[in-house]
Amino acid sequence: MPEQQKETAPTSRWVYGGLGAAILLTLAGGAAFYAATQKKGTGEVASDYTVSVSAKSCEPNEMTVPGGKRSFEIVNTSDRPIEWEILDGVMVVAERENIAPGFRQTLTAQLAPGEYEITCGLLSNPRGKLTVTESEEARAAAADVGLRNFLGPLSEYKVYLVLQGARTVAEAEDLATLIGEGDLDAARAKWEVARLPYKRVEPVAYRFSDLENSIDPVADYLAEREGDAGFTGYHRIEYGLFEENSTEGLKPVADQLVADLKTLKTRLAKLKLDPALLISIPAEMARQLAQGKIAKGEDRYAETDLADIAANFEGIRKIAGLLQAVVKPVDPALEAEIEEDIADIGAQLDALKAEDGYPAYSSVDDSDRAALADAFGALADTLDRLNSVIG
Amino acid sequence: MSLTRILCALTFALLLGAGGAQAQSNQASLELVEPLAEYKLYVAEHTASLVEDTKEFVGAIKDGDVEKAKSLFAPTRRNYEKIEPIAELFADLDVSMDSRADDYEKGEADPNFGGFHRIEYVLWEKNTTEGLDKYADKLLADVIELDSRVSELTFPPEIVVGGAAVLMEEVAATKISGEEDRYSRTDLWDFEANFDGSRKIFELFKPLIDDEAFIAKVESNFADVYEVLADYQTEDGGFVSYEKLTDMDRRVLSAKVNTLAEELSTLRGRLGLG
Repeated sequence: MPEQQKETAPTSRWVYGGLGAAILLTLAGGAAFYAATQKKGTGEVASDYTVSVSAKSCEPNEMTVPGGKRSFEIVNTSDRPIEWEILDGVMVVAERENIAPGFRQTLTAQLAPGEYEITCGLLSNPRGKLTVTESEEARAAAADVGLRNFLGPLSEYKVYLVLQGARTVAEAEDLATLIGEGDLDAARAKWEVARLPYKRVEPVAYRFSDLENSIDPVADYLAEREGDAGFTGYHRIEYGLFEENSTEGLKPVADQLVADLKTLKTRLAKLKLDPALLISIPAEMARQLAQGKIAKGEDRYAETDLADIAANFEGIRKIAGLLQAVVKPVDPALEAEIEEDIADIGAQLDALKAEDGYPAYSSVDDSDRAALADAFGALADTLDRLNSVIG
Repeated sequence: MSLTRILCALTFALLLGAGGAQAQSNQASLELVEPLAEYKLYVAEHTASLVEDTKEFVGAIKDGDVEKAKSLFAPTRRNYEKIEPIAELFADLDVSMDSRADDYEKGEADPNFGGFHRIEYVLWEKNTTEGLDKYADKLLADVIELDSRVSELTFPPEIVVGGAAVLMEEVAATKISGEEDRYSRTDLWDFEANFDGSRKIFELFKPLIDDEAFIAKVESNFADVYEVLADYQTEDGGFVSYEKLTDMDRRVLSAKVNTLAEELSTLRGRLGLG
């Protein structure tokens, strides 16, 4: 990350030649500022490395530096304004733009060990190579997991909740419309996809128990089963569409579902997230799946459980991916284990998938269900270990 | 032009250097999560509009409708300019979409010079859409790719908060000089978009800053730059040619933009992200 910027007086005669009183004044200011920083002894005066960028190349063009906070003084000896960037793949790690001809600027960046490319003036100029080696400083920086490391992941998950929350509402509204039109086939097809965004955020949504009881109750848990007044939400609609083969009487249920999901959307958008919550959500969800949900299934009329499980998995994977980024510098082995557990679940789900999508859940036998449940259990166990590392 | 540019860059750097030194050091707090998430939603909204607007822009080019293509150039770019701190994180796309002729050894004659400014060059300097099809296709592919990468990206908090000053730096260093949209003279559209993008970040994080004097200063400087722009706004919400900007107004803008860049560069420190 660039952290400070400083111009020092130009060295090129070209600059002196063309400039009027105004710039000389500015230069005087620059010199004064430079002198001031010198006197104050801010410790940022001398850069670790100097790079000269000429019309055709950079000198040096290959560098090896120890990991940590490094500073580079970029000297533009070409006759065009230039930028100098450190790239990790296509991503900019740090950059200094608009360095005028004859001027120099300092770029300071926190560098993790690895191989980077450096751009060098004109786009057609060959890129340079920056090798950042392991160092005590880099190790200490990586091990220091503070709140700051979680700000990006927490914000990203917040965005995910907001977007998926909005999708649950939009999909349910479409479902309600189709039901209102009495289009049974279209309503059935819509029901299957309308549920998916809800399943993606279920690890958070189920915490709002009042809503959960109205949005997603299963008949088994209700005294009067399908005849119970409390049988509402997704499964009540599923029962009508797939068991009674009719849209009749479902419109008010669908409208209530839309209303509930709107409340859910608002609550998701307002939910205060913190690192402990983010760490606990995916492990909890994986464990729920492992300990019963997969064995039993819950879409008993539509038998679309595999699509549900895949959506739950997507939701788990979203957070796991965010946490992986936090844990990777601190405990790469744990990060790799999470990756393996996720790959295992992904492979099992893929193996169960037919060409036209997931088959009816009744065709998934007990041993396949047990293997899938075990895989989610293993992921939950691995995710639990995040607590001691980054919690 | 390069003189102006050097002056701008230098003045700016001095101000920034001084400003950075004053930045306070606070602890980053969980309160940052909400505005950071809001900002990503703002960016996603603009990359989505960028895709839609680019489709129309590319359509006009392919229809050979020079006038329509010209009229869509600045409004389409605006989406990109508002979110530049994030967009330019993707080095390959930034080069492909928004590089200038100066970045290439042979300038406009270099076939690799593509993106918005290649299209701008041909539309205005050659007054045709001929030969633009492949550049238009590539631009559309790039904006779609940008939209998808943005949706996958976990935004780095430092880049988001630092973006407010970066946008002002862009204006100060490369835009006041008029180099950016040199063929179309639609620079003022970009100015407004950069100001909007910068002000959005400031507004989002403002509630977390406990310094009323600072907030009042920044708000008043924003009001000033918008006031200058308002004089050049056309009835349809666009802007007149950059050549119409008086020297006086250019100086006012330049001064205010530099001041804003300096002030906004303290945001990271104030929010514990220094």
